[in-house]
Amino acid sequence: MLKERVAKRPKDETMRILLVEDDAEVARFVKKGLQEAGHNVEHASNGRDGLFLAASEQFDMLVLDRMLPGGVDGVRLVETLRSQGNRTPVLFLSALSGVDEKVKGLKAGGDDYLTKPFAFAELLARVEALGRRPSVDAPATKLRVADLELDLLSRNVTRAGKRIDVQPREFRLLEHLMRHAGQVVTRTMLLEKVWDYHFDPQTNVIDVHVSRLRQKLDKGFDKPLIHTVRNAGYMIRAEP
Amino acid sequence: MVRGMVVSLSMPVLVLAIAVAASYEGAPRVTSDSPEYCSSLAARVAVMPAARREPSKSLAAEGVKLCGSGYPRAGIAKLRRAVKAAQVEP
Amino acid sequence: MPDDSPPALAPPALPPGVRRPRFAESGPGAPPRLLKSAGFRFAVVFAAMFTSAAIALVAVLWWATAGALDRQTDAAIRADAVALGERWREGSGSGLAEAIEERLAVDIENEAIYLLVETATMKKLAGNLDRWPAEAEATNWFRTRVSHDGFEVEARLHRVELPGLRLLVGRDETEREMLRHLLTEGVIWASGAVVFFALVGAWLVRAVLQARMRPAFVTTAAIAGGDLSSRVALSGREDEFDRLAQTLNTMLDRIGTLMAGVRGVSDAIAHDLRTPIARARGKLEEALGTARDEEALRAVIEEGISDLDNISRIFQALLRIAEAEAGARRAAFGPFDLRPVLADAGELYEASAEARGQMLEVSLPDPLEMVGDRDLLLQAVANLLDNAIKFTPAGGTVRLAARRHAQAITVSVADDGPGLAPEDRSHAGERFFRADRSRATPGSGLGLSLVLAVAHLHGGALLLEDAKPGAAQPGLKAVLQLPLP
Repeated sequence: MLKERVAKRPKDETMRILLVEDDAEVARFVKKGLQEAGHNVEHASNGRDGLFLAASEQFDMLVLDRMLPGGVDGVRLVETLRSQGNRTPVLFLSALSGVDEKVKGLKAGGDDYLTKPFAFAELLARVEALGRRPSVDAPATKLRVADLELDLLSRNVTRAGKRIDVQPREFRLLEHLMRHAGQVVTRTMLLEKVWDYHFDPQTNVIDVHVSRLRQKLDKGFDKPLIHTVRNAGYMIRAEP
Repeated sequence: MVRGMVVSLSMPVLVLAIAVAASYEGAPRVTSDSPEYCSSLAARVAVMPAARREPSKSLAAEGVKLCGSGYPRAGIAKLRRAVKAAQVEP
Repeated sequence: MPDDSPPALAPPALPPGVRRPRFAESGPGAPPRLLKSAGFRFAVVFAAMFTSAAIALVAVLWWATAGALDRQTDAAIRADAVALGERWREGSGSGLAEAIEERLAVDIENEAIYLLVETATMKKLAGNLDRWPAEAEATNWFRTRVSHDGFEVEARLHRVELPGLRLLVGRDETEREMLRHLLTEGVIWASGAVVFFALVGAWLVRAVLQARMRPAFVTTAAIAGGDLSSRVALSGREDEFDRLAQTLNTMLDRIGTLMAGVRGVSDAIAHDLRTPIARARGKLEEALGTARDEEALRAVIEEGISDLDNISRIFQALLRIAEAEAGARRAAFGPFDLRPVLADAGELYEASAEARGQMLEVSLPDPLEMVGDRDLLLQAVANLLDNAIKFTPAGGTVRLAARRHAQAITVSVADDGPGLAPEDRSHAGERFFRADRSRATPGSGLGLSLVLAVAHLHGGALLLEDAKPGAAQPGLKAVLQLPLP
């Protein structure tokens, strides 16, 4: 599955990622995974080196462990970068899962927070979602994927010109998927962004919503747009 | 207390004072406690018209007696009481 | 160049007067040394105030008595001098002399002093003083020592200048001197008493403070030594020290609960994660031996990942429950409206209900402003809805309702399923408890455990009852009670 996506990744979506992680095994696993997904990865194994690299070179994305040896931990690293005016998106990896720790990391200037153990697909999805550069055009009032069109002003969904009735929550769900078209969106991300809640449901509540939306979108059409990415999440995309 | 200290410190002066005796060293003396005064009080009482009445008469007599017996102060006190009594209008 | 600096020798000497503390006197539980004792300092302050008050009292007394005497004497002298002045105006020198002798003749109290002299010759004309005192030259009101009745006493004198004459009018101040001696003696004795009482007071205050603080010292020393069940003894007086002791005890109880909670979590992790870990391991080990091809191996590995994720999730849920039970998140409480939270929860699960052919009814008529943890409450309600949907048959209804009462908000989730037997209800909150009937259904059995913890965190309770009492399938109604402040 991943290999397929590598072949199709457009050049401008390749990211230069700095990974600062002291655990050798996790670092190896993440680096390899990100490289196979088509990105360039630099690795530092302690906070000081990481800070030096991040400050002196240009990266599209930083993936940081919170607990780092060498006197400079993840939070301090980000605080220092932010105080220097560095706005590179930062994703925290941490074994510290408490809400306070999350808040601390995000307040320091982090953009997202992933607790260990994590599924690599989740990491990749969040990295790509964070790293996507904002479009240079004016903010879109319409989102398009293949023949599906979402009008953000009139709150209408049309496919091949035909209007499709969706509930408000489904609209927001679709909007999120389309804003990240071509990227994997995990269930947790949907719960956070579409429902604004931070907990891990034991069962497949999100799946049911997505499948209901999918049914509405694909009824009467032969090309499914919302794809399930196994062990990861969902993606909306024109190609099958 | 301070005066005591000063006095004790000026021992030689004191010796000198004693040597010179009488005259201008020492404190002024109140004179209305001497036998001479006793006599002058007795004389005063004697010429007062009311002195012949009681209680002045007996007070004066006692006073004179005390003065004569060597207790001038007690006698002066009695004589003064006699004078006072004699001043009161009957 | 020779090195002038002294070689480094023994450790620096203590400043003079400071003793090295004896070992037994330092450390927890021992009262501070005298100079550091707060009790001693209080007593010193008290003694200082007492002494100041005593000094003030003496000063007032002095002014009121000796001062009054002085004023009285001066007034008498002044009046006398004025009267004599009148007599002089009437009868000139001889009249004045006669007036003086008259006064002396009736001076029963034996305290008057007069001296009339000619200014030119300083010849005595009348009075009972043998000499003009030297002090009379400096001021016209003065004190001097005179010899009276054989004793040296103080006299207060006033000089009056008349044409050709000089007059001294005064009084013997023996009485005043006696009073001053009395007062001085009194002050000395009083000072002695003050010092004595101050010392006694200091010792008493310090002793009382130490005695009242002793239970706290003893208990904290015991706890520092490892006996966590130790509590501070109360004296029954309900004063500030007792209140302090009560607060300390409450704090210690809390610490005890927290530590029990930590132990509980370790127990849960140790006992209850072992099974899923063992299961996952078993499956992988089995696959090693029996898998036929890469495809089968792949499948088993994927299952292994899923099992690991599951274990991770259980672990996370356990930690969350422990966090909630420990009240650690109470600090993150904030005010919010529960209604949209419940509405969202309903909406979230409504799709699942629909997928199983069930109806989800949501009834939220009242505004539900409250203070608490929004995320935890959502998770609690989500768990209840999850359970309800799981146990309701197709075609059944799940009802989510919330009401605002005077003292509390109640949130209820009722299902159409088989319900929970009364004997199982008390166990429902235990971690990993699954009633027999539900063992086959997926889920980790932690759902209600979290709901219970969240209820307690908010100072409330979780009630389990029959949704339809008496029916064949009574269903379960879970009621979450959240008290309002």
